[in-house]
Amino acid sequence: MVQLASGASVSERLQPAKPVLSWVTTAARVVLAAVLIVAGALKIGAPALSVQAVRAYQLLPDSVAQVVGYGLPVLEIITGLLLLVGLFTRAVAIVGGVLMVAFVIGIASAWARGLRIDCGCFGGDGTLAAGQDPNYFWELMRDLGLLVCAAWIVVRPAGRLSLDSALGFTGERETADEDDSDGGEDDGA
Amino acid sequence: MSKRTSEAARARIAAQRETLRKQEQRKRITMIVTIAVIAVIAVAFTVWSVRQGSAEEASGNAAPVTVEKDGTVVMANSGVTKPVVDVFEDFQCPACKQFEETSGSTLKNLAAEGKAKVVYHPITIFTEEPTKGNSLRAASAARCITDGRQWLAFHDALYKNQPSETVSGFSADELIKWGKQAGVTAEDFDNCVRQQRNVAAHQQFSAQTMSAQKLSGTPTVKLDGKELDTNVAFAPSSLRDAVEKAGK
Repeated sequence: MVQLASGASVSERLQPAKPVLSWVTTAARVVLAAVLIVAGALKIGAPALSVQAVRAYQLLPDSVAQVVGYGLPVLEIITGLLLLVGLFTRAVAIVGGVLMVAFVIGIASAWARGLRIDCGCFGGDGTLAAGQDPNYFWELMRDLGLLVCAAWIVVRPAGRLSLDSALGFTGERETADEDDSDGGEDDGA
Repeated sequence: MSKRTSEAARARIAAQRETLRKQEQRKRITMIVTIAVIAVIAVAFTVWSVRQGSAEEASGNAAPVTVEKDGTVVMANSGVTKPVVDVFEDFQCPACKQFEETSGSTLKNLAAEGKAKVVYHPITIFTEEPTKGNSLRAASAARCITDGRQWLAFHDALYKNQPSETVSGFSADELIKWGKQAGVTAEDFDNCVRQQRNVAAHQQFSAQTMSAQKLSGTPTVKLDGKELDTNVAFAPSSLRDAVEKAGK
């Protein structure tokens, strides 16, 4: 055990890129979390509006639109909070990624069908104000960028400053790494 | 000697195993507690959100409703002149239907409680068929009604039966039927609806209202002339708070 661990920490020191990359994961977490929390917070107070924004896509039957309208803001906020503190990071990042894929599909399909709507991502009822044009391209670019963040976190989960490592939820190997080389550092940072 | 060593090794292994087992157990408990905390937070958010979205129970009391000459309709107890809640709506707009379902009862209750003067401004924002025609037929038919109470019942029926934005709806026959169900007694209502007698007047009122009020869409809800955020208008409790605060 002891020898194995010290062996691991030696090999760790031979890869200077790794600590930097785990900070990249942390940055990706913060970016994705911030967008999700803001998006959820702007919608959760008026779920009737959120339902309307979902209906504007004309994709889901009404009963499903109701559930999505009410559930999505809560899911976004919870997902965002968990990513921010780094809890169940990999699983939550998968959820975040699936959300982004769903948004991309929704927006792309609205675009393809020639609908003129607002994505309703950050509140509103999905209708464009008079004289306003749809902004599908940038909405898609944003969500694809966030999808990349989610994918990065799934591949290299937790990152620095995460509750997963503080509570020992990360996998065996990562636990050993953290304990040996940077467990104390984390607390100080 | 070798026996002693192996015994010591075995004891050490057993102790290590015990430590590991305890660690695993602690980890499992921490995980369960964490998941429980997350679940509680999620439920709390959901409950709060559902309450934000749920419509008020209609109190049963109703404020007098008056159809004005200019095409607006006023709902207020006598003597109540403020705060004024202006509702700019289009009978064909889905978000207006949603607003009616969510906050319509709150406005009726506030008016009945003497806490607000509610003014409905039915307009037509659509410029393409079939939505434009649907909206014009409905609004023109509503203008055939002179009694306020009947107008409001018809107004509610229109939202209840709102057609999809992709089909031609609000046919004359339907409008007349819903009018009868709403108790409309206006003279010549059938012909008025069929001939769309009020389309021109409505279109003029609509264009005037949109430019004067600088509307960017429907529904727009204004409180004492100031546009309410949709997050307030579509959350009955927030809407009530805002109106009651303005009345103080």
